[in-house]
Amino acid sequence: MNFGKLLSLPDLKNSDARVTARLIYFTSVGLIALSLVFFLVISLVAPNLTGRVTVMALMTVLVSFGNIVLVNYGNLRLAGTLLITLAWVVVTIGSITAGGISAPIAIGYMIVVLLGGVLSSNRVNLYLTFLCIGTGILIAYAETNGLIPQAVQYTPSARVAIYSFFLLAALLLQSITAGNMRGLTANIRKSEEKYRSLLENIPITTYINSPDENAYTEYVSPQVKKLLGYVQDDFLRDPLFWIKIIHPEDRERVLAENIRTAQTHEPFNMEYRLITKDGRSIWVKDEAIFLRDESNQSEYWLGVWTDITSRKVAEEEQADLISVMTKRTIQLQTGADVSRAASSILDLDKLLPTVAELIRNHFDYYYVGIFLVDASKQWAILRAATGEMGRQMIAAGHKLEIGESSMIGWCILHGQARIALDAGEEAVRFRNPLLPLTRSEIALPLTARGEVIGAMTIQSELSSAFSRADITVLQAMADQVGNAIQNARLFTERAGLIKELEGRNTELERFTYTVSHDLKSPLVTIRGFLGFLRDSARTGNMERFDRDMHRIANAVDKMQALLNDLLELSRVGRLNTLHEDIPFGKIIQEAVELVIPPSDETRVKIIVQQDLPVVHGDHLRLVEVMQNLISNAVKFMGNQAEPRIEIGQHGFDQDGKPVFFVRDNGIGIEPQYHERIFGLFNRLDPTINGTGIGLTLVKRIIELHGGRIWVESRLGAGATFYFTLPSN
Amino acid sequence: MVGEPILVMLVEDNVDHAELVIRTMEEHRIANKVRHFLDGQSALDYLFHRNEYVDPQLNPRPHVILLDLRLPRVDGIDVLKAIKEDNELKSIPVVVLTTSEAEKDVARAYYNHANSYLVKPVGFEEFKKLMDDLGFYWLGWNTNPNIRD
Repeated sequence: MNFGKLLSLPDLKNSDARVTARLIYFTSVGLIALSLVFFLVISLVAPNLTGRVTVMALMTVLVSFGNIVLVNYGNLRLAGTLLITLAWVVVTIGSITAGGISAPIAIGYMIVVLLGGVLSSNRVNLYLTFLCIGTGILIAYAETNGLIPQAVQYTPSARVAIYSFFLLAALLLQSITAGNMRGLTANIRKSEEKYRSLLENIPITTYINSPDENAYTEYVSPQVKKLLGYVQDDFLRDPLFWIKIIHPEDRERVLAENIRTAQTHEPFNMEYRLITKDGRSIWVKDEAIFLRDESNQSEYWLGVWTDITSRKVAEEEQADLISVMTKRTIQLQTGADVSRAASSILDLDKLLPTVAELIRNHFDYYYVGIFLVDASKQWAILRAATGEMGRQMIAAGHKLEIGESSMIGWCILHGQARIALDAGEEAVRFRNPLLPLTRSEIALPLTARGEVIGAMTIQSELSSAFSRADITVLQAMADQVGNAIQNARLFTERAGLIKELEGRNTELERFTYTVSHDLKSPLVTIRGFLGFLRDSARTGNMERFDRDMHRIANAVDKMQALLNDLLELSRVGRLNTLHEDIPFGKIIQEAVELVIPPSDETRVKIIVQQDLPVVHGDHLRLVEVMQNLISNAVKFMGNQAEPRIEIGQHGFDQDGKPVFFVRDNGIGIEPQYHERIFGLFNRLDPTINGTGIGLTLVKRIIELHGGRIWVESRLGAGATFYFTLPSN
Repeated sequence: MVGEPILVMLVEDNVDHAELVIRTMEEHRIANKVRHFLDGQSALDYLFHRNEYVDPQLNPRPHVILLDLRLPRVDGIDVLKAIKEDNELKSIPVVVLTTSEAEKDVARAYYNHANSYLVKPVGFEEFKKLMDDLGFYWLGWNTNPNIRD
């Protein structure tokens, strides 16, 4: 065991413990020293007390040494208790053995109490004090009742020595204590310094607010100057200053949360803006917790302001970027969708509404409409439009003149996009009552192969809704739509051409087939009967001979008629004949004369309407048409007693062309044959004369004039042929 | 075969051609009687005993039918179909006799169970020969299922 080490002051980690250790240690050392000195003094001054003093001094020294050891072992509590107990015991025993409370040693209780005050808490010391008082009272009682022997004589010098001892002991304690106090205070101050330095140097601003809802500022760290430009003083002079520098837009919610947390004592956590001294606005994160100091029962909010401006700015930039990217993505997506629609939908009636709705939907515009230039190239007709107002406008046949009077008109005329960023200001704008919310509008031309075939209007409820980038994207889409329209048209045209070709082909096939059959038939007759002619000639059967000759002649005629009609049919439509304005009445007149010569006795009554309009067409062909129709009517009279043919006009069709009719009261035509009779070589009644080409010819001529022909009839109730021709 | 003449039904819209057939058949060695119908409707009326042909005694079933394809109103093919779909009539041999050599007509006729397809020849001798052979084949050689003894 290292005696030296054992007897030295230990270096305890805990500074408070260190202080206590020092106290006990030096006190013990002091007591040892004092005891020795006192022993020496007493032995000189009051030798009669030496015995007693020796005992007491020995006790003191031993216990003190023991204390020092204990302190080294870190057992400060025990050491302290031991010291106090030692003091009490010494004083008590000394008093009892030295004549009671009057003995000078009784003053020693003061030292006991002092020791207690230094080494233990107030409460323990209180008990200790009462203990000493109690003990004193007991000793006094004992002394009064003569229980304590008056054994010792105290000379004045003895007394003064004893008093001096205790005074010195008090001084010792006092100075050690004071020294410790200083030490403790220094420790505290050093700690404080350390924390203060920490607090005032870290790059966050700390503050302390009052615990109530008012949140008065009680402390703010100096970093606040760097954060806001204001100094600590600004906050302390006006405890509500911090509220005044909150950004007006955020103030309400900050105060609301402040009040809420003041009531619930939940941690306060918000991000808001403060206005700096030079008027800038910064973002701070404010985190505060509610604390209660146990020792002095004070409550307060301890908070931290962290500058998060750069983070917020970055977040905003990111949000902007994302917004722009999202917009671009939507645009690209829409572009892709439009592209897909454009390349897959060939029916314009489906494609245009699909595209219009796509664009409107993806960009959330107010309205999108697509106009196409009509045949006259003077008007732009609305072909597709979104929403209920779009539907109404299309139903009303909305159209705009190509020219300067509207955005669409201008756009088509000049072949360029036109933008109205503020609809109120734009000069060239057709104000549409069905679209009252339009604030900005863009009109984009639809072109195909360099030609402007239409335009697309896109309208928004926001002003300046179209950026340059938007316009580029939208124009690209418009171009695709233009192409798609062209494609659709070509496709339709192609389909139409193919159908026509197929039709022609079929007709040709039927033609060839029927011609070969119908030409072959008379040949069979002719050749067949030639043989019989020979027979008849041989046998001399002249009657039969004549009859058969007749048959042959008829067959030859039939062939000839057939060939003529076929030739006529093929001529119609090939030759570019002159179209002129002719009064329809005149045509009828000529036809009637050809069909029914004045000498005819068939008694067919022909009634022609007065004041028939002028028609525009090929004179000869139109006469042929009437000829055929009238001749058919005559042929199919059947047993009609009073055959009658009426010819006239029956109003106009939806394109404005006059509708003419030829009505007879003959045998009529069953409904199932109403289409077939116009077919080539279709003859309903083979006994009635005819080549089967007549109605086909009629239909061909009428259709070449751009008209239509159809029949209304029932078996036994006559037939009415209706047809349209261009007037003009 | 007992003395009763074979009944031939001729459905032909061309009167001249009909005359050619009738005359040739009249001179044929095999006894026959030709009944001529100008269109498909009246032919079907006869076969199904409708309208004026109601009495089966007066309008007996023919032993063979000569059918032209191009007929007004009811088409020859439709007549053929009507005959071949009827359980009573389908066993009557139907010989198509027409001017058309078109393949599609031939195909259609056979598809609808025509028993034979003959093209009217151009030329008296040829026509006569055809009618002769037709008569010998269908009225002579061919065993007819509907012969009533």
